[in-house]
Amino acid sequence: MVFNSLHFVWFFIAVYALYRMLPHRGQNWLLLVASYYFYAAWDWRFLGLLAASTVVDYTAGRLLASSTSPRRRRAYVTLSLGFNLTLLGFFKYFNFFADSLQTLFTGFGMPLDFVTLRVLLPVGISFYTFVTMSYVIDVYRREVAATRNFVDFAVFVAYFPHLVAGPILRASRLLPQIQLPRHITGEQIREGLWLILWGFFQKIFIADNLAPLANSIFEPGTAHAGVNVLLGVYAFAFQIYGDFAGYSNIARGTSKLMGIELIENFRFPYLVRTPQEFWRHWHISLSTWLRDYLYIPLGGNRGGPLATHRNLFVTMLLGGLWHGAAWTFVLWGAYQGALLIVYRWAGRIPAFHAWTSSPSVVARVTSWAVMFHLTCYGWLIFRAGSAGQIADLTRALAGSFGAPAVDVTQLLAPLALYATPLLLVHAIEARYDDLLIVPRLPPVVRYSVYAATFYLTMLFGNFGGSEFIYFQF
Amino acid sequence: MRPRARRLLLFGLILLGWFGVFEAGLRHWGSSEAAPAFQGLFTGDPVIGYRLRPGTRTRFATAEFDTEISINNAGVRDDEDIGPKAPGEKRIVVLGDSLVLSVQVSFPTTFTEQMERRLDERRAPGDASTYRVINAGVQGYGPVEELLFFQTRIAQLQPDVVLVAVFVGNDAEEALTSQVKLASGRPATERLRESIVTALRRLVRRSMVLQVLRLRIVTATDRFRGTAGPPEPPLQTYAANPAPRIARGIAFTRDAVAGIAAEAGRAGARTGIILMPARLQLDDGDYGRYRAIIAEAGGELVRHAATERFAKALGELRLPMIDLLPPLRAALPGPDLFFQENVHLTPRGHAVVGETLARFVREQSLLVR
Repeated sequence: MVFNSLHFVWFFIAVYALYRMLPHRGQNWLLLVASYYFYAAWDWRFLGLLAASTVVDYTAGRLLASSTSPRRRRAYVTLSLGFNLTLLGFFKYFNFFADSLQTLFTGFGMPLDFVTLRVLLPVGISFYTFVTMSYVIDVYRREVAATRNFVDFAVFVAYFPHLVAGPILRASRLLPQIQLPRHITGEQIREGLWLILWGFFQKIFIADNLAPLANSIFEPGTAHAGVNVLLGVYAFAFQIYGDFAGYSNIARGTSKLMGIELIENFRFPYLVRTPQEFWRHWHISLSTWLRDYLYIPLGGNRGGPLATHRNLFVTMLLGGLWHGAAWTFVLWGAYQGALLIVYRWAGRIPAFHAWTSSPSVVARVTSWAVMFHLTCYGWLIFRAGSAGQIADLTRALAGSFGAPAVDVTQLLAPLALYATPLLLVHAIEARYDDLLIVPRLPPVVRYSVYAATFYLTMLFGNFGGSEFIYFQF
Repeated sequence: MRPRARRLLLFGLILLGWFGVFEAGLRHWGSSEAAPAFQGLFTGDPVIGYRLRPGTRTRFATAEFDTEISINNAGVRDDEDIGPKAPGEKRIVVLGDSLVLSVQVSFPTTFTEQMERRLDERRAPGDASTYRVINAGVQGYGPVEELLFFQTRIAQLQPDVVLVAVFVGNDAEEALTSQVKLASGRPATERLRESIVTALRRLVRRSMVLQVLRLRIVTATDRFRGTAGPPEPPLQTYAANPAPRIARGIAFTRDAVAGIAAEAGRAGARTGIILMPARLQLDDGDYGRYRAIIAEAGGELVRHAATERFAKALGELRLPMIDLLPPLRAALPGPDLFFQENVHLTPRGHAVVGETLARFVREQSLLVR
């Protein structure tokens, strides 16, 4: 069940009507049943995995809470993490590693002729395994108290707004909101409705309309002039942002209506000036997860520049792999790691540091433009189907800007049409440094934004669009 | 006034204001059947609901075509008016819907005009007749409207031959929804309901914003229904196990065509039937897409079921009948027979149909008394 379907609309209306009538414990039971129904609507066969993950990590939490022996606690956390990583590794990466191994041996003239098991990817597995792992680690670190109530824990894991594509929530943030009675305020309803409307706009108007432009450039076996590739990559940059931020906003909005606050997952990621800033503004729940559970345990920045750079690189490499079982994602992770290292290293040069942090207009515009294009090149790697296509598109970008038959208007006009409303709203939000400024604007202004967003989505949205990109991760 | 009511009123006014902005923008830059250029072609009719407005000239452009359209004094598409029948003039009227009207192509390109030219060119030696093929297609008409149109407007044009183009894709559904127009002595409540529905439809047709919003709602509900119930119109006519209403719709179509034939016979004209296929019957890509959609909804699409059902039911009338599917199929592969965005005939499709119908009229000796 995707958010942009009538199935979800009816589902949510029914759930919400019941939710508002029930007492707190009843609400939690309802959320649990509704979340499992939501997941079963994708593929009921994987409900068992979700339930197993919930039971194992609930039990691990209870055992960790009841044990004082460091050795036993280490064993419990290791077993729990081992279970989750095995689950993730098998269902998400088995095909990838099996195929890679086969290719490798074939390359050495030793073709392996074994029957590869084709494993289906359960939707959302990358998200909910990270959620449960963070819980167990936090309980192990004694940063979070293990919950006694199984239903509360099961809701924490399966809570439908964030189940299949995040944000990746921490127990410290979500569990108390599930455990305690919720009071839904008028402000939450106003903000929730705006986030839902804005999320649909980002998905249906921006992402799904730009998808054909981006796809035309990344179609395998096609050759394009550099300027077309550039515009196609811009289109993909806005597509993936609209798609993923749209999902996060709908998730936050529906959750707000139920009185549960989810974290901001995106905060003007294309307005930043350095890679460090980018990762503080893009997929915030993943980047903070990687920071807290991978980068810092690896040593963070505590072991000197070389170790810091190594830790950064490993973290981003694995972050890339988290996005998908393909070498292009690994390459994208390596590229992001390299960017972080280069900017970190160059940041020691006073002139470079001034350029990326000075408030002067020239420094701001140029450092932003460079960062935006570096990000876009990252999206080229991310979206490409193979290393060969990355090379072809890079060559086109670098060397064939003068091709005579370039029809720029066909790409530029829709790109401008679909990206401009997003940029306008972002300009308002950035000016107030508040992602929820629109519902707080004077009534005439905010109603105008609501109405324009509604009409743009309904009249020009692509209603035959695809599922959300991040479901595959 | 309470603050909440005041806010609601303000929001309503702003929504209305933006409605005006988008309506104006779409009318200026957009191109759909809600455009004034297209809507200006129609006028109300107390019996049928609406018809083409006599004496209208307009230009209708979309991304796929740009056409000059003229409606003559008789309220049919033609550059010339229709006067009294000249000696030796033989008139063939083609009744139908948008597939006959053919706003996508210039008037000389329509299959009715091509048919007229071929009949003139291939006159038998010594035949002094002149032929006039009258394009009596009206956008959105079904068999019931065609019968009423013939009774009220077309019979007086003194046709020698009446060809009824039955679009197998949706005429069963159209006949079903319109058959109330034939019933006499209907209760006042039903008439009121119908007039409200007609007024609402007219309102929606006149607004580009409302048309798009209606389309969104229909698409969304269809998609939702697709997961729970049987496939929805117009493809029900092609379903392996169609809803019972399809058989009723086909029976109404047969009765309407019989009515036209009876009226035409009284006026001294002969009647023939044209079975017009839908694009999915000729376009493999279209067929594959629809078949997948229907299969996903738990149904089964049979590619030519609609043609077979209509052929069987209309065969009972024992009138000359031509199925356009074989000649159109014989023209494949080649340039497109139907437009990509809308499902109407391209100039090439019109050429094939014009040639086929001219031959049909001759071979069936429809013009021979």
